[in-house]
Amino acid sequence: MELKIIEDALFAAIAAIGFSSISRLPLRAYPFCAVIAALGHSLRYVLMNSPECDFHIFWATVIASFFIGTLAVFLSPLARTPAEACFFPSLLPMIPGMYAYKAFGGIAACIFNDNPETFNYYFYQFAYNGLVCVAVLFGMVVAATVPVFIFKKISFQATR
Amino acid sequence: MMTMTKMNVAMISETAEPVMPPAKSVCMFLSDYSGWLLGCGATCIRLEKNVQRIARTYGKRAEITITPRHVHISMIAADSSETFTTIAPVRRVPVSFNTITRLSRLSWEIADSHLSLEEASERFDDIVSDDRQNKWLVLVLVSLANASFCRLFGGDGAAMAIVGIATMAGYYLKQCMMEARVDLRLVMLACAFVSSVLGATDYLFSVGTTPQIAIGTSILYLVPGIPYLNSFSDMLNRYYICSFSRFMDAVVLTGCLSIGLCCGMMMMKIGMF
Repeated sequence: MELKIIEDALFAAIAAIGFSSISRLPLRAYPFCAVIAALGHSLRYVLMNSPECDFHIFWATVIASFFIGTLAVFLSPLARTPAEACFFPSLLPMIPGMYAYKAFGGIAACIFNDNPETFNYYFYQFAYNGLVCVAVLFGMVVAATVPVFIFKKISFQATR
Repeated sequence: MMTMTKMNVAMISETAEPVMPPAKSVCMFLSDYSGWLLGCGATCIRLEKNVQRIARTYGKRAEITITPRHVHISMIAADSSETFTTIAPVRRVPVSFNTITRLSRLSWEIADSHLSLEEASERFDDIVSDDRQNKWLVLVLVSLANASFCRLFGGDGAAMAIVGIATMAGYYLKQCMMEARVDLRLVMLACAFVSSVLGATDYLFSVGTTPQIAIGTSILYLVPGIPYLNSFSDMLNRYYICSFSRFMDAVVLTGCLSIGLCCGMMMMKIGMF
């Protein structure tokens, strides 16, 4: 389990650095982003996979996002970047891409299947995955943004 | 007597209020500033805070309306003696947190160091004209990131390698097409097609044990994550119009990449589930 957590943290950090480069983050913020993503993603991994917690992806993502948002608010003055510049790339590895992929795949399969049973199956795939995807996205952003407003003074003065 | 007069003049000049620039100049500067800040992917709340901060420093009050493609700013002098309104287009530029950071810092420099409008304009021009990146480094980092993504979703070593290569090819194509100023929707479609065809090699040649994960994650670098996050952030702050337009932009781009993916999978004769 410990090895799995470390592996999850490492790959989340690499993913965050890559996505930081797509969104042109200032170079000095890369290490902060990597640390925030590693800690946040591994927390989500523990919440979802440890037998004691066994959380649903929604609650695990919400808790991890709140943690990421709080860390970003307190680290952004050190990185001298706005808080969202620190936590957006860190959140990207948690975007439920596979759910979005399956939801769109479900739509495509619905269009090409006129058998009611097969259609119902794929419509269920589309509805379930689409709803989970939207709910996780919404929960993620709300949870990560709440600390920005709780600690308004720190987060909006990070670039001062 | 002469000395006294000189002292008085010196005291007056030290305590005199700085000359405030006219509302028109401040408004023109801020409309350009807002167009760039929003185009680079800033949230509406940040835009409003930065603009208000700069306007206050120059002795003005700003009223802002943010629409999907334009920013509408009215500048009102503190004593309501003059008002000026501009509408600026939102710049069509790639997301850049570097520019957002530097523009936010500029707003604090204006407020704290009382930069003149001319100085602020010069610094603004420097910021927006100097946002270069090493495209080869970005290409490598994005490929590694997507390969890591594949691992996070449970892909094996072979799937990671294939996703890395598929991402590199797709992202290189994206860079070329963006340089040629091709429509972003078409870019998404073409890149998703190329990446999914290359991602399907794991399935076709049975290289690894997780071919479905390789295909699914090969296009995830194209998912417009920042617009999705921004749209929800704007919604929380009650900028509903901007939130909805950003969400629709992101949905259209996701639709385009899904069409590219479906075409790729159909060409390679691979089922979705």
